[in-house]
Amino acid sequence: MLRFALRRFAWSVPVVLIASFLLFWAVRATFDPVAKLRQGHDAGAVQREIERLGLDRSIPEQYVLWMKGFLTGDWGTSTRTGGSVSTLVASALWPTLQLMFWGVLLAAFVALAIGVYTAVRQYSAGDYVLSGLAYVGISLPAFWFGLVLIQVVAVWPVQSLGWSEPPFYFVGLHAPGQSGFNLDYLRHLALPLATLTVTLTASWSRFARTSMLDVLSSDYVRTARAKGVPPRAIVLRHALRNALAPFVTIVALDTGVLFGGLIVTEQIYSIPGMGRLFLQSLQAGDVFVLVPWMFVVAIAVVFFNLMADLSYALLDPKVKLR
Amino acid sequence: MPDFLSRNRGLTALIAVLLAAGATACGSSDGGGGTVNGAGGGSTSASTGPSGGTLVVGAEQEPDCADWIAVCAGNIWGSYTMQVTTLPTAFDTRKQDGRWALVPSDVLAGEPTVEVRGGKQTITYRIAPEAVWSDGTPISSRDFAYTALQIRDGEGIFDKTGYDLIEDVEMPDEKTAVVKLRTTFGPWRSLFGGSYSILPEHLLRGKDRAKIMKDGYSFSGGPWKIEKWQKGNSVTLVPNDRYWGDKPKLDKVVFQFIPDTSAAFQALKSGQVQSLYPTPQVDAISQIKAGIPNTRVEVDAETGNLEALWMNNGRFPLDDEAVRKALAYAVDRKAIVERLYGPLGVSDPEQSFVTPLVGAFAGSDFDVYEPDPARVEQLMTGAGWSRGGDGIWAKDGRKAEMTITSLAGNKRRELTEQILQQQLREAGFALKITNTTPAEIFSKLAPAGDFQLGLWTLIDQYPEPALSASFSSTSIPTKANGNSGINFYRANIPGLDAELRTVDTSTDQATRRAASLRADALIAAAVPSLPIATVPNVLMTNDAIGGPTSINPSEGPWWNLEEWTRGQ
Repeated sequence: MLRFALRRFAWSVPVVLIASFLLFWAVRATFDPVAKLRQGHDAGAVQREIERLGLDRSIPEQYVLWMKGFLTGDWGTSTRTGGSVSTLVASALWPTLQLMFWGVLLAAFVALAIGVYTAVRQYSAGDYVLSGLAYVGISLPAFWFGLVLIQVVAVWPVQSLGWSEPPFYFVGLHAPGQSGFNLDYLRHLALPLATLTVTLTASWSRFARTSMLDVLSSDYVRTARAKGVPPRAIVLRHALRNALAPFVTIVALDTGVLFGGLIVTEQIYSIPGMGRLFLQSLQAGDVFVLVPWMFVVAIAVVFFNLMADLSYALLDPKVKLR
Repeated sequence: MPDFLSRNRGLTALIAVLLAAGATACGSSDGGGGTVNGAGGGSTSASTGPSGGTLVVGAEQEPDCADWIAVCAGNIWGSYTMQVTTLPTAFDTRKQDGRWALVPSDVLAGEPTVEVRGGKQTITYRIAPEAVWSDGTPISSRDFAYTALQIRDGEGIFDKTGYDLIEDVEMPDEKTAVVKLRTTFGPWRSLFGGSYSILPEHLLRGKDRAKIMKDGYSFSGGPWKIEKWQKGNSVTLVPNDRYWGDKPKLDKVVFQFIPDTSAAFQALKSGQVQSLYPTPQVDAISQIKAGIPNTRVEVDAETGNLEALWMNNGRFPLDDEAVRKALAYAVDRKAIVERLYGPLGVSDPEQSFVTPLVGAFAGSDFDVYEPDPARVEQLMTGAGWSRGGDGIWAKDGRKAEMTITSLAGNKRRELTEQILQQQLREAGFALKITNTTPAEIFSKLAPAGDFQLGLWTLIDQYPEPALSASFSSTSIPTKANGNSGINFYRANIPGLDAELRTVDTSTDQATRRAASLRADALIAAAVPSLPIATVPNVLMTNDAIGGPTSINPSEGPWWNLEEWTRGQ
C-alpha cells in the first residue's frame, strides 16, 4: 500500500508542475496586474509598478522566480491587498474547509441513507418520492436555492411573523466579534450548509442507489438470501460494504473539486473562503494570488484523486495495487 | 479529533440551535409592514435618537488594504469605511454656495497662505493647536513633512500627482508647515486633502509604514478608531476619545462585508444590517423600486462618476467631426437616463465632462445635443454620406457601422448599449456590441486605440478638475510618453491644451474656472465623446437610525458618522 501511494504521489509531481506552468502562463497572459492604475491621473504609476513587480521580465523567467519562491514558502505579495499571498490563501482555506467538512459529512451520510433505502425499497412510494426529490435537488441552481432559503427561512419570519431577529443568519460564519463553535456559529452555518448539501446529497444519493442495486442483484447476495441470512445483515454487512467503494470514490473526487468550487455559496453567504478570494482576485487582476490559488486547488484535486484510489483499494480487497 | 466534533456535543448544539430558533421566534418585534419611503430628492431626513448602541452597515466591498497611499489601497470602500473616519486631512469636501469644494478642515487653524514667486509656489499650513493624535501627541508640521515625502519618494505609491512637484517641506515651528513646489499647481488643495490623509510621523518614521498600516492601525486623528478588522467579515470602529471635534454618539460601528447585492438587501430587510450604500446596478434599482420596509432611501445625482459614450476620434467613421455630431443628435440621452435611473427620481443627462462633484468648473454646453433627426440628416449629407438600401449611412463604399465595447457582465451598461443600438439604428448607424474584461479594455484596447465606441465611467474623486488627463493632446498614449496617457479617444482639439494647462497650473480660482468653462465649450463644439449620465449615489438607512444622514460624493455616506444615532 505504501509503495503504491508513493508511486502515485511521484506521478502526481510532474502533473502538478506542468499544470502550474500552464496556469502561470495563462494567467499572466490574460491579466494585467497594473490595470487599475491605467485609468488614474498619474501617468508614471504604471511604469513604476511594472518595474517594482518585475513584470518587465519574460514569462518563463517570472515563472522560475515564482516557483522558487513558492517552494521556499515565499508565495509573493498580493497587488490587491499588499499582504502575503500565503497568509491570504491560508485564511481563505479555513472557512472553505469548515464548509467542506460539514457539507461532505452531512451530504454523504444522508445520501447513503437515501441510496440504501431507495435501493432496498425499489419502486416503492418512498423510492419514487425520494428519487423525484433527488432530481429536483440536482436541477436546483445553488444561487437561486440559496436566495430562496434566505427569503423563506431568515427574512420572512422577521417581516411576516414579526420576529425580532431571524432564526438563521446568512452573512458570514460568525457575527462580528464572535468566534468558535457555538450557537452563533450554528445559526450562521445552517443555510450555507443547506445550500451546499442539497445538490451533493441529491446526486450522491442517486449514485448510492445505483451502486446498491448492482450489489443487491449479484449472485452472492442471492446465495445469502437462499441460505436464510437475515435481510438487515445482507444489506448492512454484505451489500453496503461492497457498494461503498464506488460511492466513496465519487465522494472523494467531488470533495477535491469543492476546494475551489464553492464560489456561489461563499458569495451569497458572504463567507471569506477560497471561492470569494478567487472572485476578488479575478476582479482585481491579482495574478500573484490567482496563480497560487489555482495551484493549491490543483494540488487538492490531485490529492483527493489519490485518496479515491487508496480508499477504493482499502474497501475492495479484490482491487490490486499496482 | 477536535473536541467540538464529538458526537454528543454536536447533538447538543443541534438541539440548542433549534431551541434558539424557537426562542427568537417569540421575541418582540418592531419590524414588518411599515411604510416604504420612495426614492428621490437626496434629502436628509432622520429622527434623532439616544446616544450609544451599535450600528451595523452592509458594505458591498471589503477594502483591500489600509495603507492609504499605496497601490493596494485604490478601493474607494477603504476610504469610506476607515480612512475618512480615522485619519485627518487638511481639506474636506463640503458644499459651499451650493457647490462641492475643498475647504480647510478642523486640522488647520485657517485657510493656508499661497505665494507664487519665480514660477514656484509656496503653501503655508497653520495647524490647529488642539489637533492631536489618539495617543495625545499633537498633529504637527513633522506629520505634514513625513506624509509629503513618503508619497513623493515612496515605492508602490498609488498616485503622486502634485506631490512629485514638492521640492521641500520646511517646519519653522511645530504647528506650521511650509510646502515648496517646483512649479505652480492649480489643484494644490488636493495635497493632504484629496485622496490622501495626514500620517503620524512619530509612529511611522523609520518603520515599515506598509506593514504597520495595511491590515488596519490602532492610531487615529479622526472621530473614530479601528477596533478590529476581521478580514473577510467586518471592520469595527469605536470612538476616538481624544478627538478634538464633535464626539461620536454611537458606541460602535460595524461594517459587515456583503458582496452579493440580493443578500445585502435581504440583510437590510431582516434587520441584520441597518444601512446600505448599494451601487445602482439594475438589480439594486429593482429592489429599491419594490420597496424596503422601515427604510429611508436618499439619492444624490451630484456625484463624481460620469458614464459617457467614448468615441475614438482616430478611427473611421468617428474621425469625421460631422459623424460624431450626428451621433450626439441621434442619441436620446434623457431616455437612457430615465430608463436607467428613473425609479430613483433621476432623469437629467449630464451636459459636461466635468462631473457635478467638480460642478464649480463645469459648463452645460452639451445641452444643445438633443434628439434631432433633421440635424442628423443635414450633418451626414453635408459630409458626403448617403443612406443605403438597408437604411445605414455609407460613404465611399464604407458603411457607418461601429462596434461598442464595455465591461462584460455589467447589466447597467449592457442595457445602455441595447438602448443605444436601437436609437442609432433608427438614425442610420449600425452598432455591434462586443464587451470584454476591464483588463482587456484598459490595458490593451483603449491604450492602443483599438476600439471605436466605448462605454465606461470617468471618475473624479475630489472637487478639483482633471480634464487634462482625458482630453489634452499630450495625454494621447504614444511611444513618446510610454503609452501612459489616458486620452484614449485621441482627441486633439485646437486651443484646448492651453485652456487645460491654465486650469492645472493657475493658483487663482477665478482664472481656473473661466479657463475650465472655455475648455468645456471647446469640447462640446468638437464632440470628442458624449457625456450621458452621472451614476447616482444611493444611501439606505433603517428608520431607527437618526442623525443628519446624507451623501458626500467624495468622502462617502459615512463622512459624518459621529453625528449618527440609533433609536431603541
